[in-house]
Amino acid sequence: MASVSVHQFAQCITSHAWSPDHSMIAFCPNNNEVHIYKLMEGKWEKIHVLHKHDQIVSGIDWSTSSNRIVTVSHDRNSYVWSQEATEWVPTLVILRLNRAALCVQWSPKENKFAVGSGAKTVCICYYEQENNWWVSKLIRKRHDSSVTSVAWHPNNILLATTSTDGKCRVFSTFIKGVDTKNPAGSSTDSKFGEQIMQLDLSLSWTFGMKWSPSGNTLAYVGHNSMIYFVDDVGPSPSAQSVAFRDLPLRDVLFISERMLIGGGFDCNPMVFIADERGLWSFLRFLDERKPSSSAKYSSQLSEKFGKLYNQSKYSTNDTNGTPRTRGGGGGGAHENCITSVVPLKKAGGTTITSFSTSGLDGKIVIWELEKQEDLLEYL
Amino acid sequence: MCKPKEHIFISFIWLKFAEKIVDPNPLISLLTHLMANSLRLYLTCIRNTLEAALCLQNFPCQEVERHNKPEVELKTSPELLLNPVMICRNEAEKCLIETSINSLRISLKVKQADELENILTKKFLRFLSMRAEAFQVLRRKPVQGYDISFLITNYHCEEMQKQKLIDFIVQFMEDIDKEISELKLSMNTRGRLVATEFLKQFI
Repeated sequence: MASVSVHQFAQCITSHAWSPDHSMIAFCPNNNEVHIYKLMEGKWEKIHVLHKHDQIVSGIDWSTSSNRIVTVSHDRNSYVWSQEATEWVPTLVILRLNRAALCVQWSPKENKFAVGSGAKTVCICYYEQENNWWVSKLIRKRHDSSVTSVAWHPNNILLATTSTDGKCRVFSTFIKGVDTKNPAGSSTDSKFGEQIMQLDLSLSWTFGMKWSPSGNTLAYVGHNSMIYFVDDVGPSPSAQSVAFRDLPLRDVLFISERMLIGGGFDCNPMVFIADERGLWSFLRFLDERKPSSSAKYSSQLSEKFGKLYNQSKYSTNDTNGTPRTRGGGGGGAHENCITSVVPLKKAGGTTITSFSTSGLDGKIVIWELEKQEDLLEYL
Repeated sequence: MCKPKEHIFISFIWLKFAEKIVDPNPLISLLTHLMANSLRLYLTCIRNTLEAALCLQNFPCQEVERHNKPEVELKTSPELLLNPVMICRNEAEKCLIETSINSLRISLKVKQADELENILTKKFLRFLSMRAEAFQVLRRKPVQGYDISFLITNYHCEEMQKQKLIDFIVQFMEDIDKEISELKLSMNTRGRLVATEFLKQFI
């Protein structure tokens, strides 16, 4: 099995994040609380409950260097939690939103974070020393629908967003006084909120987007069971669309420049790889599954009929080659849709060899890629 | 899911039947098999469509602050709706599946061959709709032009297994025909009994 450990924490998990040393995990059990569990003597124990939001918490991110947690919720608010002694102290962020906040991510330098919202805007929040609070700057007007996910480019300036209007956009988020000008970078002359690129590849809603570790490739998924890879982000991008036969994905994660993991409604992480020429394709599911008893759907009557009249098509036409374990219940690690895929980067290490997934079934599953021999060359 | 071959096959059998080349007795059972099979195809089609359509997620309302309502009912943002799918077995039996980002609505039209079946279906489905709470996914009022509607939201998908939900809908569709014809049968039997009893006094 590719999964190392499965932990049933709650009935349903909307989002989860790991502490910098991976000894603690923060997640939202599909309500207005955030639970923090700590691994103590091989057992996960609940040590904190962050109780400040009054609607479902939709996004959590834990910064690695400054050890702060940012949470966003459908109640339009966001809090930055910092640890003082044993307690987590919240600081309210004035998002200036009038609709639900949907997703959040710390920038790579952790001096800013981005919040996607149902108000068709993106907030870029940064800390203002003089006033001692988090201020937000809004990118308005560009989005025609809710912003479903945000992703930071490693250069700390570019931000990519996906939205339910089916577009993927890349913005510059240069903020004076927070970011320093980089003379060599291509994004030096762009102001805050300027749109670098708009991709119109998907015909349906777009979700879960990530940059590759180097920032050269951008990947996002469409609800029409497609995944899009974009190289050379800028004035002349080149894109690849990869269609797959299974149910749509919700979130993706770049393991390396040549390997990507996607999690979604098939409840089983999917592995995509790039060949030498940089062409992406679907390789396989990560979790092996035994054919389950739900495959016995085809009615006995038609099977008999098929036997009687020697027409095998009557007994096989509804399976048509696909396993009927689709959508969970197939004995895999996850039993319901996977909604987030989070990397587990070892301290000091450059490669990601393990990651965790959480989903609507309330499980957090940790996956190890080192034991997968056929995937080693892509790590 | 359309099987043109099967239609040709059926008409071929009818032709043979008309020419009296084939013995009619096994033919009738063969036709029942085929009918059952066509119902199965219809249900398989619905099952597969539901499997693909039941990819729902939590999604707060874009129009109204702090609201979270099934988008398929509100229809305020057209970009959050997918194309509706209609699956017809014939004119009298069809199924409409409307999907949005956080909810799905499936409406069924049940076969009604005559007046009696019409009344029975109406009364029976009304009986069920009045107890919609017990079924969770049942809608209190069917969509216009249909006999019964189900509304599945992301909350149902979080609480229940997707496969079981689909099984429930398909099982319901399988059973409803059986239920109606049983009702009709008992109704006829009773009618005959009552008529016999009533007419006895004139002998």
